[in-house]
Amino acid sequence: MASYDVQAGTLGQLFKALAEQIPPLGTLICKDRLQSALVANLNGDRFISDPETPLGENDCVLILSADAGG
Amino acid sequence: MAFGYHGRYLRIDVTNGAGEFVPLDDTLLREYLGGSGLGVRLLLDTGAAEADPLAPEAPLIFAFSPLVGSPLTTSAKFAVVSKSPLTGRINDSLSSSGFAVAGKRSGCDAIMIVGRAPQLSAIVIDDGEVRLESAEEFRGATCPETEAGLRARLGNGYRIASIGPAGESAVRYASVSHDGRHAGRGGSGAVLGAKNIKAIAVRGTQYTEWAHPRELTELSRSLSKRSFGPATAKYRELGTASNLLTFNRFGTLPTRNFQTGSFEEAANLSPEGLSETRSKTRDSCVACTIGCEHIYSLGKTRVRVEYENLFALGSLCGVSDADAVLRASQRCDELGIDTISAGGTIAFAMECVERGWLKEQWLTFGSGEALLRALDLIGSREGIGDLLAEGSRRAAQVIGHNSIAIAPQVKGLEIPGYEPRALQTMALGFAVGARGADHNRSGAYEVDFSAKVDRRNVTTDAVRHAIETEDKAALMDSLIMCKFLRGVFEDFYAESAEMLRKVTGWEVTADELRETAKRIVSAKRQFNVLAGWTPAEDTLPERFLNTPLPNDPAASLSRKRLDLLVAEYHRQRGW
Repeated sequence: MASYDVQAGTLGQLFKALAEQIPPLGTLICKDRLQSALVANLNGDRFISDPETPLGENDCVLILSADAGG
Repeated sequence: MAFGYHGRYLRIDVTNGAGEFVPLDDTLLREYLGGSGLGVRLLLDTGAAEADPLAPEAPLIFAFSPLVGSPLTTSAKFAVVSKSPLTGRINDSLSSSGFAVAGKRSGCDAIMIVGRAPQLSAIVIDDGEVRLESAEEFRGATCPETEAGLRARLGNGYRIASIGPAGESAVRYASVSHDGRHAGRGGSGAVLGAKNIKAIAVRGTQYTEWAHPRELTELSRSLSKRSFGPATAKYRELGTASNLLTFNRFGTLPTRNFQTGSFEEAANLSPEGLSETRSKTRDSCVACTIGCEHIYSLGKTRVRVEYENLFALGSLCGVSDADAVLRASQRCDELGIDTISAGGTIAFAMECVERGWLKEQWLTFGSGEALLRALDLIGSREGIGDLLAEGSRRAAQVIGHNSIAIAPQVKGLEIPGYEPRALQTMALGFAVGARGADHNRSGAYEVDFSAKVDRRNVTTDAVRHAIETEDKAALMDSLIMCKFLRGVFEDFYAESAEMLRKVTGWEVTADELRETAKRIVSAKRQFNVLAGWTPAEDTLPERFLNTPLPNDPAASLSRKRLDLLVAEYHRQRGW
């Protein structure tokens, strides 16, 4: 599990920033959304997908596989 | 007869070793396809629902599918279907290996085994010709020993499925092994053992033809290419255990018999942690392009690691010693037992010891030594192992003290590695599952891991999503395709219809397959009703309904809310 600090006001901005900073991750991001193989979770609580979802200063967004188990 | 099928199944009565081919008509095949669907249909037609699953007359079915032998990736699969000796309900256990391809090439779409052989025997099916051979020399042998020994005796052309000592001892969650993989859940190994059958060896030359071979080849290439994409990356890179640390972070990693949802030493068991000090190789099933198998070194041997093994034999038993967990996983493979039910039952016993309800003081959470000792006792049914071989539900009935409240099972099948209080759509999937608590017949955890629901407070809106995952699983298990492909499809039903059309020649549509999926789910339900199902079975153990998850108090599921979800599920199913 890797972690990065990114400045972003919304989920969509976060994904754009990640795509620019980490090119391999960019292939998994379409515009301002994750590909369907991945999901995003805010602070270990709710799962979020709307690019307009606001993010606060200390928010933690977890990106993980949409396939939960095996 | 449709392409892709032989249009018959092979019925073997092992009491006298006689085999006969029984015709299957096109209508039945189109309605139930293969795998789970075909197996359940055939079981219903034999009256197996009312039989004792360990009685000679109870059938055990190996069901193949129209896609087996095709160039479609992940299609070398088969279902083992019977009444479960663990649950008394339907059991369909899926697996993948060359056994599927060789079995279908023996000239049939399914193999049904009934009767009881006079001595421990191996069934040998050579291009459709059936004979029994003594397997007495393999009595007590592990699954790998049996398969290697029989291969040496018969020659390399055979593919072999076997049971280990646990199947011989009627451990109620014994598996059927083949090529290091297992039809693991529900105790099909015990059913085979009760028939005095140690192994089945198959080989054959009877191929089926495809309706549209050129189109099928093109589609297969396209699907294989897509199978290398992001939807399957996690399986290639870290394997099924890739989310273990994430689950732990979410508080959904069942720990110490579901007493909590996070394990302080989870990092030791994660694929990242395992890789630090061990060499690792990857492998795949026959005809699979994904390659999800991650095999770690353990001394001079190698162990295949899956999420469910790490959870059930690791965090659930409080064991953080990775070597002990890998050894336990290997031991389950050798004995031929389901790792989830083994880990669940042992973890339950550990909590019973902690509460003073069992006297085996050595059986404590966190002890890798105790875990390994318990597995060996289960495999031989010695000492406390005789009780634990019955599974947690039956063990709880003997132990008393209302220990059934903490037995981690639904309908008798131990719960896999998803904390129900924190993943409540999955909780519904577990409660209503035809074969009990199961993550392969209901993929409802995917709904919880999405923005569709609030996973810790789901409402009846979640029910349709849970039904959708159950229907998809029923279709995948009958076509049969690996579920790890599910993220690859953009329109699952339409693409499945296209695959089936190219193989069989049927002008099948997405809507028809939606109906087929529902028909198969209903057939399982019908089997259970005939076997004595009651509405009270569609629930969870009391622990999950009375106690919020200690590490996440917001994760709380009341009996009233679960009952509402279950009632809505039954309403939407039309039951």
